[in-house]
Amino acid sequence: MSMAVSRRAILAGSAGALPLLRARPASAAPREIRFWHAMSGVNGERLEEMTRQFNAAQSDFAVTPIFKGTYDELINATVAAYRTRTQPQLVQIYERGFMTMLLSGAVVPVQELMAAQRHNINWADFIKPIAGYYTHKGELAAMPFNSSTPILFFNKAHFAKAGLEKPAETWQALEQQLRQVKAAGGPGSIMADDYHWSWFENYSAINDYQYATKNNGFGGLDTEFTYNRTPVVQQVGRMKRWMDDGLLQTAGQGVAAAAVFTSGRSATFIASTATHAAVMAAANLEWDAVPLPYEEGRTPRNSVIGGAVLWALRGHADADNAGTASFLAFVAKPETQVWWHKATGYVPATNAAYALAQSQGWYRERPTQEIAVKQLTRGEPTANSLGYRFGNFTQTMFAQREEAERAFGGQKPPQQAMDDAVSRGNEILRRFERLNAGRY
Amino acid sequence: MSETAIPALPPRRLSWPAFLRRKARPESLHGIKSSGFAGQVLPLVLLAPQLVILLMFFFIPAIRGLAQAFLLQDPFGQEVHFVGLENITALLRSAEYWESLRLSVNFTLATTALTFGVGLLLAFATDRVARGRTAYRAVLLLPYAIAPAIAGFVWAFLFNPIVGPAAALLHALGIAWDPNRSGDDALLLVILTASWKHLCYDYIFLVAALGSVPRSVIEAAAVDGARPLRRFFWIVLPMIAPTVFFLLVMNTVYGLFETFAIIDATTRGGPAAATNILVYKVYVDGFVNLDLGSSAAQSVLLMIFAISLTVIQFRLIERRISYDVSQ
Repeated sequence: MSMAVSRRAILAGSAGALPLLRARPASAAPREIRFWHAMSGVNGERLEEMTRQFNAAQSDFAVTPIFKGTYDELINATVAAYRTRTQPQLVQIYERGFMTMLLSGAVVPVQELMAAQRHNINWADFIKPIAGYYTHKGELAAMPFNSSTPILFFNKAHFAKAGLEKPAETWQALEQQLRQVKAAGGPGSIMADDYHWSWFENYSAINDYQYATKNNGFGGLDTEFTYNRTPVVQQVGRMKRWMDDGLLQTAGQGVAAAAVFTSGRSATFIASTATHAAVMAAANLEWDAVPLPYEEGRTPRNSVIGGAVLWALRGHADADNAGTASFLAFVAKPETQVWWHKATGYVPATNAAYALAQSQGWYRERPTQEIAVKQLTRGEPTANSLGYRFGNFTQTMFAQREEAERAFGGQKPPQQAMDDAVSRGNEILRRFERLNAGRY
Repeated sequence: MSETAIPALPPRRLSWPAFLRRKARPESLHGIKSSGFAGQVLPLVLLAPQLVILLMFFFIPAIRGLAQAFLLQDPFGQEVHFVGLENITALLRSAEYWESLRLSVNFTLATTALTFGVGLLLAFATDRVARGRTAYRAVLLLPYAIAPAIAGFVWAFLFNPIVGPAAALLHALGIAWDPNRSGDDALLLVILTASWKHLCYDYIFLVAALGSVPRSVIEAAAVDGARPLRRFFWIVLPMIAPTVFFLLVMNTVYGLFETFAIIDATTRGGPAAATNILVYKVYVDGFVNLDLGSSAAQSVLLMIFAISLTVIQFRLIERRISYDVSQ
C-alpha cells in the first residue's frame, strides 16, 4: 500500500518537473566546456572552485571540471578520447607530456586560439622560465596553469637541536649540517618521490650544467643526453653516500614522503613548492624553507618548473572554442592567478600577478611562498636553465631513475649507471625523432 | 538349430538425429572427462552469449593489440609506420626485457610454491582443528575478499622501513630491511604479498580435494603400516592430483598476469626495476610511457610465453593424472 502511494508521488513529482525543464529556452542554456584535470585532494577542490567562479561571472559558458586520475591516467584518457573523437575541449597535461602534445596534431596552440577568439593577453608578461618552457616558435603552445618548482623545506626543531639555524646554501655545507643533525640524534632527510626532478634536472639548471645537446632539446629533436659527463654523476654518488650514512631516507610506497616530513621524521625535504598545503596543515611542525642548494663555487641560476598546463584540443565547434578561450583568459587574469597562488601554493604565472600578490602583502604573511618565485626568476636563464624539451620524456626519466636506483642499491657505480641511463635515454629519444621527423 | 533361438530385437530407444547423437567414447566411462553434451548445437547456443562477450572484449582488442606490435605509432595516431618485427627484436636485444622475464619466472615460481605449500599445510591442519573450525576457515579466506591494491598498500605500509611496524620488528632483530633500496627485499615483499593474497584460493580447493579422499583407503594403508608421509605421497597426492594440477595452472596464471595491482601498490616495479615483472612492464611502457608498439609487442610475447607454459604443463603433467575418481 505504502509502495503504491510512493510510486504515485514520484510520478506526480516527475510530471511536475517536466514543464519546468521544457520551459527553459534552449538559447539561454550555457554551452558546456568539458575540462579534464588531474588535481586531487585540496587542490582539486580549489580547481573546482575556480571553475565555479568563472561560471558565476558569465552566463554563456559553463565549464565542467572532470577528474580523470593521475597525470599519467589523464594523458592516456586524452589519447583514447581523441582517437574515438570524444575529446573534451580542455585538458591539463603535465610538463613531461609537452612534446607529445605539441606534436600530436590534436591541439590548438593557445596563442593562436586566443587571437582567433579576440582575447588580448599580454604574453610578454609571463614569467620567463614558465613561458620559456612552453613556448614553441615564438608562441605559447598551452596556457600555464599550475606551475611549481622545488624548494628545500626543513625541520627547525631538528636543526636547532644540532645548534643550527637553517640549511646552508651549498650542497657541501649542507652535508656537514646533516651530519651534525644526525649526530645530535636527529633523523635523516627524506627523498621526494619525484626526486629526479629536483636532484637531477633542477640541480643541472641551477648549477648551469648541460643536460643534453641542442640546448636541452629546444634546438631540435636530434638532441642527445649528456648528463653522464657532468656532476650529475657525483650527485648520484652523493645520494648513495647519504643513504649509506643515514642522511637520506626513501619513503617507498607505504607512506607519502611529505607525511614523513610533516610528522617530524626527517630533517629536510626537497619538494615542490605546492607541498606548502600539506606542510602548513601539519600540527606541531616547526618548519621553514630555503631555496635549493647549489655546488660550491657555482653561481646559482634559476630553477626549472614542473606542474601542468592547459591544452585546447582540436575538433570542436567555434562556439566551443570561444568558451575555452574565455575560460583561459579568466585563468590568465592576475586576480585569478593570485587567488590560485594563495589557495594552492603554485607560483603565479605572470609578473603582474606576482606584483599584485606583493602589493597585497602576501609574502610578509607567507615568506616561504615567495622562495619559488624568486628562485625561478633568479638571473637571466641560460641555455642550460631554460628547461627541458625531450620527446618521450616520461620514458627517458623512468630509465634514468631505474639506473640511478641501481647505483643507490650498489649494483653499479654511479658513472656506469648514468652512462647506461644516457644510452637508454638516447635510444628512446631516437624513437621519438623517427616518428616526429620534420614536425618540430 | 534350436527353437529357443530368439531373433535379435531392434533397439528400443528412438535414435537421435545424427548431429545430436553422442559419439562413441573410447575413453573413460566415468570421471570428469566422460561428462559432456551429445551433439554440438546446444553447446554452441549456450556458449553464444559468452562468445559474443569474448569477441567484443577479448578477441577484437587482442587482434588489434597483435597488429599494434608491428607498428611504430605516436599515441594520437597521426603517424603510423609499419616496422615489421622491429618492436619484437628490439625487446629481445634489450637486457631489461630479459631481466624482466627472468624476474617474472622467479616471481611466479616462488609465488606458486609458497601459495601451494602453505595452502596445503593449512588445508591439512583444518582436519586437525577440533574447535572453531569455521572461524579458522573464515580467517583464512579473508585475504581473498580484500582488493589487491588495498592488500598491496597495507603490506607496503607494514614493511615500510620508516613507519612500518613489521619493518621495525625486523630492524629490532638486527635485519637490515629496506625494500626501497634493496631489490631482493622488494622482491621478497611482493612475493609474500601476492602469496598471502592468493593463499586462500589454493586452500579452499585443497580442503575440498582432501575431503574427497576416502578415509577407508587411508585407514587401510595405516593398518598396513604406512607412515603419514608415505600415506600422503602414495595415496593422498595421486588422488588429489587433478586439483593439484588445476592449482598449478591457476597459480601460474595468477603470478604472471593478476599480480599487477599488488606490484603497483607495493613497489611500482622498483627499486631499480627489481620487481618489474612482465605484466607490470607492459603497463608502464604502454600506459605511462605511451610506447604503444613496444607495449603491444611485449603483450604478444607474454601471451606466447603463457600459452607455451600452459601447453607444457598439460603435455608433461596432465597425461599422468587420472581423473577417474570412483568412490
